[in-house]
Amino acid sequence: MSATPVQKRDLVLDGLWRNNPVFRQVLGICSALAVTNLLLNTLVMCASLTFTTAMSCLTVSLLRRWTPRRIRMMVQTLIIAFYVIIIDILLQAFWPAMSTALGPFVGLIITNCIIMGRCEAFAGSHAPVPSLLDGLFSGLGYSVVLCLIAFCRELLGMGTLLGRPMPFFGSELWNNWVIMVMPPGAFFTLALVVWFFRSRQGAPAQGGGK
Amino acid sequence: MSVRDKAWFPVVYMFAVTAAFSSVLIGFAEGLRPRVESNRRAALERAVLAVLPLEAPAADSAQIRHELFKSLTAVTERGAEKVTAYQVVRDGRVRASALLFEGQGFWNRIRGVIGVGADGRSVLGIAIYEQSETPGLGAEIVTPRFTEQFRKGKVLGVKTALRFVAETAKAGSGEVNGVTGATQTCSRLERMLNARLARWTADTAQPGGTE
Repeated sequence: MSATPVQKRDLVLDGLWRNNPVFRQVLGICSALAVTNLLLNTLVMCASLTFTTAMSCLTVSLLRRWTPRRIRMMVQTLIIAFYVIIIDILLQAFWPAMSTALGPFVGLIITNCIIMGRCEAFAGSHAPVPSLLDGLFSGLGYSVVLCLIAFCRELLGMGTLLGRPMPFFGSELWNNWVIMVMPPGAFFTLALVVWFFRSRQGAPAQGGGK
Repeated sequence: MSVRDKAWFPVVYMFAVTAAFSSVLIGFAEGLRPRVESNRRAALERAVLAVLPLEAPAADSAQIRHELFKSLTAVTERGAEKVTAYQVVRDGRVRASALLFEGQGFWNRIRGVIGVGADGRSVLGIAIYEQSETPGLGAEIVTPRFTEQFRKGKVLGVKTALRFVAETAKAGSGEVNGVTGATQTCSRLERMLNARLARWTADTAQPGGTE
């Protein structure tokens, strides 16, 4: 389980831009579609996922020398579930309205491909600090894209941002685009966001990769 | 051959890791359980008090709400195991009842309370204290824009039920404007409310129907 040294700068750039989980790897799409019709819900979801990814990667990395290879994925799932349940309990205790609003999607963070992907691809073979950074910036990369989608959906679909009516969009002049709040609106926005960022990035280097 | 290579090691390791993480979680959940339960109770109390014609307390604190809630009479209907309604009783007469209802919404269970007058046909208000409907669409059932309609003297006829009409339609007595784009949530809520009101009417019509 030897690891090649990685530059912190690369971890930051990969998570946020070059290897972004959403628009480059197309992972975490389920929650990107489900919780992005309100910006506040999205922010909480993103914070929860970033925390879970960072802490799971750190824990998997700390245990990597003792974890038998044959059962590593069971251990990873257990660790991810541990952090997700902690977040779920914290929301129920200190922010019950948000816990109700997010419903089953907090629990479904366990199945988010980004977390398991980073644990398996990186944390299982790298030192704790780079693993923590990798998880943190992968989570932040996911968050940036989700917040952008939520921004468009809430503004165009409801004329509000964080529940507050916005100039023009919250007035009689603007007719809310109901479809933006519904699942098709999420698909359209996600497709546009992926297209936009990929066209900015240009074609990936041939035979490259991490 | 190191311990890690033994055939039993993965099994023991998995048990040990599971036990360690589970113990922390159990401790964490137990520590916060009173707070979680208190939040649930407070949500129910707030919803019940919101649909009853009670004098508003001078200060809106959880303690005052709890005291007011305790002054209500809990009712268990025929065949029910839990409390299903709370009543305001003054001078030995029932002035109003808050009926608990629940049912399947579009995504998840919807739990709420509907207030009815002593006649069992005048709707006094509605409050939803648990739902996971689509934000901006089905979730609009918790907003004052929707719930305030129930305070505007919705009186049901002897045989007529509560009816949801289009958001832009003119709603008459016994009619409520639904939410555009949330047809499923509205029709399920409509069925839930009517089933609850029908059961309440049937139970209260029978002697000894409520306890």
